[in-house]
Amino acid sequence: MKKGGGTKKSTATKKSVAATQGATQQRESPAPAPPVPASPPPPAPRRDAPVVLRVEGLRKRFGRTTAVDGIDLTVRRGEIYGFVGPNGAGKTTSLSMMTGLLRPDGGSVVVGEDDVWRSPEEAKRALGVLPDRMRLFDRLTGAQMLYYCGVLHGLDRHTARSRSDDLARALALEGALDRPVADYSIGMIKKVSLAAALIHSPRLLVLDEPFEGVDPVSTAQAIDLLRAYARAGGTVVLSSHNMDLVERVCDAVAVIVGGAILAEGSLDEVRAGSSLEERFVELAGGRTAVEGLEWLTTFSD
Amino acid sequence: MVDDVLRLRLALLASAFRGGRRLARTAVVAVLLVGGAWGALLLADRFDPQDSGHRAALVVIASVLALALAVAPLTSGLGSAMEPRRFAPFPIPAPRLAGALALAGALGVQGLGVLVGLVAFLTAWAGTEAEGVAAATGLAGAVTVILAGQALVAIAAQVAVAPTSVRTVTHFARGVVALCLVTATTAAVLADRGRDDDELGELASVLAATPLGVPWATPGAAGDATGWGIVGSILLAGMLGLGWALLVQRLLEAPERQRLAPRSRGLGLLDVVPATQGGVIAARSILYWTRDPRYRLALVALPIAPVLMMLALAVAGVDASLLWLIPLPVLALFLGWFSHNDVAYDHTAVWLHVAAHVRGASDRWGRAVPPLLLGVPLVLLLAPLCALWSGLPGAAPLLAGVSLGLLLTGIGVSSVASAAAPYPAPRPGAGPFDQPPLTAATAGWSQGLSMLTILVLMSPALVLAWLGLTSDPAMLGVAAGVGAATGPVVLVLGVLLGGRVFRRRAPELLDLVLRT
Repeated sequence: MKKGGGTKKSTATKKSVAATQGATQQRESPAPAPPVPASPPPPAPRRDAPVVLRVEGLRKRFGRTTAVDGIDLTVRRGEIYGFVGPNGAGKTTSLSMMTGLLRPDGGSVVVGEDDVWRSPEEAKRALGVLPDRMRLFDRLTGAQMLYYCGVLHGLDRHTARSRSDDLARALALEGALDRPVADYSIGMIKKVSLAAALIHSPRLLVLDEPFEGVDPVSTAQAIDLLRAYARAGGTVVLSSHNMDLVERVCDAVAVIVGGAILAEGSLDEVRAGSSLEERFVELAGGRTAVEGLEWLTTFSD
Repeated sequence: MVDDVLRLRLALLASAFRGGRRLARTAVVAVLLVGGAWGALLLADRFDPQDSGHRAALVVIASVLALALAVAPLTSGLGSAMEPRRFAPFPIPAPRLAGALALAGALGVQGLGVLVGLVAFLTAWAGTEAEGVAAATGLAGAVTVILAGQALVAIAAQVAVAPTSVRTVTHFARGVVALCLVTATTAAVLADRGRDDDELGELASVLAATPLGVPWATPGAAGDATGWGIVGSILLAGMLGLGWALLVQRLLEAPERQRLAPRSRGLGLLDVVPATQGGVIAARSILYWTRDPRYRLALVALPIAPVLMMLALAVAGVDASLLWLIPLPVLALFLGWFSHNDVAYDHTAVWLHVAAHVRGASDRWGRAVPPLLLGVPLVLLLAPLCALWSGLPGAAPLLAGVSLGLLLTGIGVSSVASAAAPYPAPRPGAGPFDQPPLTAATAGWSQGLSMLTILVLMSPALVLAWLGLTSDPAMLGVAAGVGAATGPVVLVLGVLLGGRVFRRRAPELLDLVLRT
């Protein structure tokens, strides 16, 4: 009963992707000017769109260290939301707790209407996840992997296969689908993981470092795909170290340092006139003056 | 030319002693050969030509071993360097090539096996008046077996070009060899016990009427039949020789069949199973059981424990009829218990199940499929055989019931244990002997406790079986029933309970594997 409903809903979402895409394109380019694929100005999502992800007071301690110290986030429908922070700031921990992979010590995560930790069944159906540094079943081939994920998420045989093919085409994975995932490069693994996260057409995508090790061409393809998805009403939360990329792709940003959110809001609000990178370094504690490394400038020969 | 072919053959044989993995394989084959030779000669020595049961058993054993040896070359794959077609570019007349290749084929594992068999056959008849007949027909039979093996490889290589069909042929051949060895062992045990001579005699007379049995039945025949048997055996060898020559001729002239490699975009096993959570998890589990060295090592090691137990008890002087009751239940117990840490074997890949919020019972059922698929047929096949070897009345249902009970109880308990008490395991891709990066105290008590739980849950059946064996034979049937009933109940309960635990503790499981 439940499963059938889910499948129907997801098919409907897929259709609406195409429909909305067409509509958006009509609205955007009434003039015969050729579309510029390099940087299509993303229609800024209104800040009053419905909230898709609401995180309140999320906390996690490992032994004595506090990894995440009560963070709050609000992500709205249609946004591509960047989650940035220096190494060890608690990005992966936070994202794992938001996606139901790591149990938080406190706080709540609500996806749509459903709490990830209280009613995981409904919440996880709406979630697509790409975690960082987690394995796949790498003795399966890429095609088997995608089919496996599709069926686990309740898709039927035909849908799982046809969507695997569609995603493989969109992410330039076609040539690799018959090889075992164990033979893939890191970039390929990221791509097949992204496809696996998308296969059940979730309402919210949570991607941890989705472009690490991915070549520029594939990154551009993946970004186009995410933009189309967001335009159609999907929502994306992604973490990255690449400030240029976040600045180019995201509508809203949160900066997490030492387990706490230091800045959150639309891209313009957060960067406040300077570049995101400068702002980020400033928030993360600024550049420390390089001292005590004088020997480094006295070359040995 | 002939010595060139023979030298090539010897060089190929020598290559089996080079390198780690090949050397290990060679060692296994050598051990099997020595063991087989020892067993065959021992049997031949105990052969009594006056005993009709022994005579019948000799025909049966020799016939099935001949079949096994004829099929044996197929078991190591097709397409050797000695394929007749490889010599097509050289100006060698076909009949000479056929002779050289047949001679070269006799050098090798198969030839050695045939030689041992022939010596054993001659030893059996040595000192009787049928000695001369045995030498003639035995020699003809040996030639037949060697030529048949060569011809089979050449034909199979011609017919099976796709990798899958090659694999089918090798697996089928291995099955035939295993079946033949089992049959031969059974015949030897039955003849030794001497209670089923009539059945053996019937089987022997059927075999004696086929080309398979003629060379081996003739020395035991009387009157005219002996003469006809000798002629028949030699005719058979001659016909195969002629056939081999014609086959080589044909292979040198006929065009090679091309391998059509359609790029199949199949999902393999995932295409076969139903598209449900349990179905795909089962398929994935089977793929891991068959392909992952961590699982494969366990499967190879599984039969070792029961064999060692048998040896130890045999040394201690336990009766043979009780000894044969040991291996199957022990095997079933270990097979069921083996998956008690299955989740840890997935390592972090289990996040896929957590993120998709897989139904706990589906996860558990899927993981239970490989041991069930392997264990249930194994128990049902081996229970009657072990019972036969044991000779204890009522042993077959007892073995089947208790072993099934142990297997299913083991899988049920493992379903709970792998969700409730996983411990660090070697990572995927690591060698089976690699230690996990973090060993935990949980490992010990998780292993011990799950094993103990299986035994406790099965204790009613085990105690009844013990009573049946020591005092009241009527209890044997009851023990079988209790065992067979305990298994399914524990399995279902274990899957349901394990499923609940898995779903509730999924993030904690992920946390555990992340830290290792």
